[in-house]
Amino acid sequence: MSEYGLVIGRAAIGSAGPIAFGPAGILFLADNTAAKVFAVDVADPGPASGSEPFDLENVDAHVASFLGCDPGDVVIRDLAVHPGSHNVYLSVQRGHGDAARAVLVRIDRLDASVTDVPLVDVPMAQVTIADAPAEDDERLDITLPQGDEGEEFTFGERTIRILRRPIRTATITDMAYVDGALLVAGLSNEEFSSKLRRIPFPFGGEVVDNNLEIFHVSHGKWETAAPIRTFVPYGGGRSILASYTCTPVVHFELSDLTPGTKVVGRTVAELGAMNMPLDMVSFEEGGEEHLLVANSTHGLIKIACRDIDAQPALTEPREPIGVPRETEDLKGITRLANLNGSHVLALQSANGGTHLRSLKTASL
Amino acid sequence: MADVSWSRCGDTDCIRVGRLTGQATLQVRAESAAAHLPPMAGTVVPDGEDRCFVPRFAFVDGTTYRVVVDGVTAAVLVRPRPDLPATTEVLEIRPTATEVPRNFLRFYVCFSAPMADGYAAAHVRLLDHAGEPMAGALLPTEHELWDGDRRRLTVLLDPARIKRGLVGHRETGYPLRSGASFRVVVDRDFRDARGAPLRAGADRRYEVGGDERRRVEPEGWSLSAPRSHSREPVVVRFDRPLDAALLGRCLQVAGPDGRRIAGTPELGPEERSWRLAPEEAWAPAAHQLLVDPVLEDLAGNSVSRVFDRDLSRREDDPEVDQLVTLAFRPH
Repeated sequence: MSEYGLVIGRAAIGSAGPIAFGPAGILFLADNTAAKVFAVDVADPGPASGSEPFDLENVDAHVASFLGCDPGDVVIRDLAVHPGSHNVYLSVQRGHGDAARAVLVRIDRLDASVTDVPLVDVPMAQVTIADAPAEDDERLDITLPQGDEGEEFTFGERTIRILRRPIRTATITDMAYVDGALLVAGLSNEEFSSKLRRIPFPFGGEVVDNNLEIFHVSHGKWETAAPIRTFVPYGGGRSILASYTCTPVVHFELSDLTPGTKVVGRTVAELGAMNMPLDMVSFEEGGEEHLLVANSTHGLIKIACRDIDAQPALTEPREPIGVPRETEDLKGITRLANLNGSHVLALQSANGGTHLRSLKTASL
Repeated sequence: MADVSWSRCGDTDCIRVGRLTGQATLQVRAESAAAHLPPMAGTVVPDGEDRCFVPRFAFVDGTTYRVVVDGVTAAVLVRPRPDLPATTEVLEIRPTATEVPRNFLRFYVCFSAPMADGYAAAHVRLLDHAGEPMAGALLPTEHELWDGDRRRLTVLLDPARIKRGLVGHRETGYPLRSGASFRVVVDRDFRDARGAPLRAGADRRYEVGGDERRRVEPEGWSLSAPRSHSREPVVVRFDRPLDAALLGRCLQVAGPDGRRIAGTPELGPEERSWRLAPEEAWAPAAHQLLVDPVLEDLAGNSVSRVFDRDLSRREDDPEVDQLVTLAFRPH
């Protein structure tokens, strides 16, 4: 793991956030309290796995029972599947307030046994997303540095140097690893803007933290910047489909995301009024790539990638494109992950519980 | 029957079981957990003639635990819930402006102590002028937005209903109605980090005005220069209320040497002004107010861009994202 810059240490996660697998079974864990992302070798013990489905009814009850609390004291924040063993990893917050604790739970795909993954004395690395506050005033985002840092700024006949810190991402909402970089989307608790961070991995000594501002256009008439809630790379990482807090589903090319440029995404769908995007995943079926969008109001929405590439920007008001699956058994899905080549694993809330359900891609 | 009790093992809370044979199995489960579910993670530690169940994750206050020895319930113990006095209160709800624009985007609830997450969706509400809940007005909070010490909660109105052209806006319209008042209500049952409710609920009433779709333009502010050699504040008055949180970090004063003037910043009533009293007396030379262009008004319009931009209006084209300066000279 040293090739990825991991060293033995403690991944001190204060708050359970999104998780995503990177190379060599390394799991990225977002900590929204410390505004950090940890990379951890989870040392998954499972054998390489095939294409069998995996289902677990009332996974929240299983996890709560293992953690010694009531299901109401457990919040499953995210879901990831180990790419080799297909064991299931859950980012779990146990308890509330001062008593809250972040736990990484592994569910064995073969026997559904529950364990917690050690985060102490494990190969790990970390990167800080928010910038360290200035020593003299934590509230300031413009600082007048003493040395040569920052940009030169001239007013009148005077030139000063100013250090502007990038947006503070209060809450990481989604992450994905693509081709040597971790992409991180977040919601600020102050300004309303859209930034996607691209953090090279292995993490460098110094954070190379590009802020990429992304806009979307509605119906060719309005343009806004908005926070990305969830996103999924597809097309071998060339393309990104992102969904905003205000529900448009927007396409852009990863190669467009160069620092300092304004990126305008192409709106390809809207999820509809009073709806919220929750998670997205891509999968291949019959030689074609598709995307699934979990959302708070409708069933899963399935979109063929070739339709995205072929579709002009959404210029007229239109309800969701693609093939919305309004069947009851595909409602209540809050998280998605690729289980194997034949199934997508869904975290579904239904009948008062939370369940892991395998969705056969050939049937979607 | 075994002798079972709450106890301590080393420096950890445990369940102590006496008079157990060496071969007996000991498991602990939350009462809510069915028998086929995994037992609570932990280790069984011999302690003299007793055995202690030391949990991997601390017992949760108020939770009932079943202690099972050799498959038979030996005891049911309730973890006591401390009787916590309600001491935390809502310090303020920002903005303090009495009128907000119809396309109002965000407000802040500031608490006197760190809070627990998971309560915002159910305990922060908008009520219309008749006291009826305004369903769908707020952005659902899958991710609650707290500041670093968990004392300030950021709540967004649903931007899909505010942005022109989106389905949410077309079908359900603005969350607010011009000319109608509404209230932000924080329920007493919002829990602090200790798990205690608030001392009291809180609310703030707002009137709703027209739309605000202009960029924030520092050039239109009025700036009152202080007297030189004094420690009077420099006062900046805005043309409309601005975002309280961003005002806290987007304004700064540079002195004649280009260094930041240290002092005490203060927001004026209704977030319509800002003042800075310096720690040291003003020099009789040129100073600059530096404005970070991310500064927004109550509708999310910033110095560099409007919130939702009508592409046919050239005057709304985004500005270059750079600092704005306003010069003043203490007189």
